[in-house]
Amino acid sequence: MSTAPDTAAAAPLLEIRDLRVKVGGQEVLRGVSLAVRAGEVHAIMGPNGSGKSTLAHVLAGRPGYEIVAGTACFEGRDLFALAPEQRARAGLFLGFQYPVEIPGVNNAYLLKAAVNAARRERGLAELDAFEFLSVVRAKIKLMQIDESFLSRGVNEGFSGGEKKRNEILQMLVLEPKLALLDETDSGLDIDALKVVAHGINSLRAAERAIVLVTHYQRMLDYVVPDYVHVLARGRIARSGDRTLALELERRGYDWISEQAAA
Amino acid sequence: MSTPAATVRSDILDRILRDYEAVAARLPDAAVPREARGRAMRELSRLGWPKASDEQWRYTNLRAFERVPAFAPAVLARTAGGAPGVSTPELPPPLPGFERLVYIDGARADTGALTAATSGPEWPAEQRLGLLCDMFASDVAALRIRGTSSIEVLFLTSDAAAGAACYPRLQLELEPGSQLQLVERHLGSPDAPTLVGANIAIELRAGAQLTHYRLQQCGAQTVFTDTLSARVAEAASYSVRQVAIGAVSARTSAQVRLAGRGAAFSWQAIAVGRGQQVHDTALKVEHLAADTRTEEVFRGIADERARIAFSGHIHIAASAPGSDARQSLRGLIEGAGAEIDLRPRLEINTDEVKAQHGATTGALDENLMFYLLARGIDRATARALLKWAFLGDVLRAIDLPEVRSAAEHGAAGQLPDVVAIGALT
Repeated sequence: MSTAPDTAAAAPLLEIRDLRVKVGGQEVLRGVSLAVRAGEVHAIMGPNGSGKSTLAHVLAGRPGYEIVAGTACFEGRDLFALAPEQRARAGLFLGFQYPVEIPGVNNAYLLKAAVNAARRERGLAELDAFEFLSVVRAKIKLMQIDESFLSRGVNEGFSGGEKKRNEILQMLVLEPKLALLDETDSGLDIDALKVVAHGINSLRAAERAIVLVTHYQRMLDYVVPDYVHVLARGRIARSGDRTLALELERRGYDWISEQAAA
Repeated sequence: MSTPAATVRSDILDRILRDYEAVAARLPDAAVPREARGRAMRELSRLGWPKASDEQWRYTNLRAFERVPAFAPAVLARTAGGAPGVSTPELPPPLPGFERLVYIDGARADTGALTAATSGPEWPAEQRLGLLCDMFASDVAALRIRGTSSIEVLFLTSDAAAGAACYPRLQLELEPGSQLQLVERHLGSPDAPTLVGANIAIELRAGAQLTHYRLQQCGAQTVFTDTLSARVAEAASYSVRQVAIGAVSARTSAQVRLAGRGAAFSWQAIAVGRGQQVHDTALKVEHLAADTRTEEVFRGIADERARIAFSGHIHIAASAPGSDARQSLRGLIEGAGAEIDLRPRLEINTDEVKAQHGATTGALDENLMFYLLARGIDRATARALLKWAFLGDVLRAIDLPEVRSAAEHGAAGQLPDVVAIGALT
């Protein structure tokens, strides 16, 4: 793992141990273990139905999942003991594969409320309107979003690409410690993919970790991961560096799924 | 005046008829011709007082009417021709560019009627509460519109009307090709059960355009009923933006006839109830001519023990091929004892029409809730935001900034958690 940063000695930011999760009575995650340290970028790949999105959503606290066994610690805290909003304020960000539209709640309001909730949690003073705008304007420019979007409803009438850019914008403004990006690359054309990747890369930092959940290798050309994990049949079937993603691109997922089934 | 035998009698109807007899001689012909008052009285006697067992009145808070002590118009008790001389609600700021008419307890505050009033439309059984205004109205705003106009009509209920009734009456005729922005507001908080019984009759001639903003912000003791009839001629367009937030009980009975080819109607309305408020709307639209269009959007939030009902009946006659009718009715139940009843009904008697309707009632969308929680927004704030968003598409359709602001503040007043989060700008 020549590309991996030298973080192995540090305590994990996120540590998942033998996580088993059921959805609708069916076990979707069947013993996932994963350690993510600050400064690292991990990619979680896998075929459809392998449990990738389930993992991201369980970590963010989405209701509807039954945690059967296992633990997840975030900075040493029991993640599952925290409500979704507490996890977010603690620095965990979920980028949605299908961001919802919320007409009537404008983007500026949501962003400001979110950023100030996080600041309160950290004991920092809330941003006033002027401070907030100065912060958000720079990020908007980076994501190549028109400033008029601030007064529009959250994702209202946005194209698929605009919604994904908005997700990354939110991430940039919130500056989380751990970003879980659930198939952020899906539905993006190549130009939008580059913009989104640029946004993600701008947030790479020694104190932050990023977990990319993706089906395709394409995104990893632009956001180069330190580690790649393949989820198959609810377990991490294989881990490696970015060359694993390239191998998957060549060979597909079947061979790993078969190994996982064996 | 003798009262003809009613086919359906009830205590409340007897009281209404007695009150009418007592004041009939003093009611002004200029507001409603005497013959028309008599006809209305006889028709109400014939139809009888509505019963909850009637489908059209099933969700109306009829008991609230029984608590109104007197049905005669409050203004009759005052000195003839004088200003009310009573405390009236503070007037909202004037709307820039609008002519303002102010009616207090159903009587114009300055001069008399603008044009000669007519007897008004005949009300079918499901609009029979309109007969009350025909019987008792003490004044009228009768307007004939030429060219382009902007008019605000304020109907205020003063404390002096407490325990009695007032009957706002608005008659509009838009001449061919004319355009009108009309703001109709009902305000006032008398401190005893008080009936506000409004009648609105609208005639749009060919090519006329009316945008009608309606804000019902009556006080908690008001029993409000409004009965609206509109006829829309060829290529004319009638748009209603209605916000109903006040009154202990509010019933809107509206009927719109799209009578000429290409006539268009849009109804976008919200109702927000809390406590024990009841908001009940029955809207019937008749497509009578080809290529006519209807768009109905209704959003209702019922908190605590409130009850909200909306009946949207669209009838497309055989004479109306090429009609386009869309309904979107949504209700949000917030309180454990709250109730919402949405009844879409499309009745189509011709081919070649486009029609779609959707009606959903439920709690807040958990996907939207999780999205906000995942951004660190606390649960109470997320709930408030989503409630506000629920009303958003109708509120945004109010394109007059001052009216929209008044509507937003009024709606937010019904949703205290929305005010707390500062969603209002």
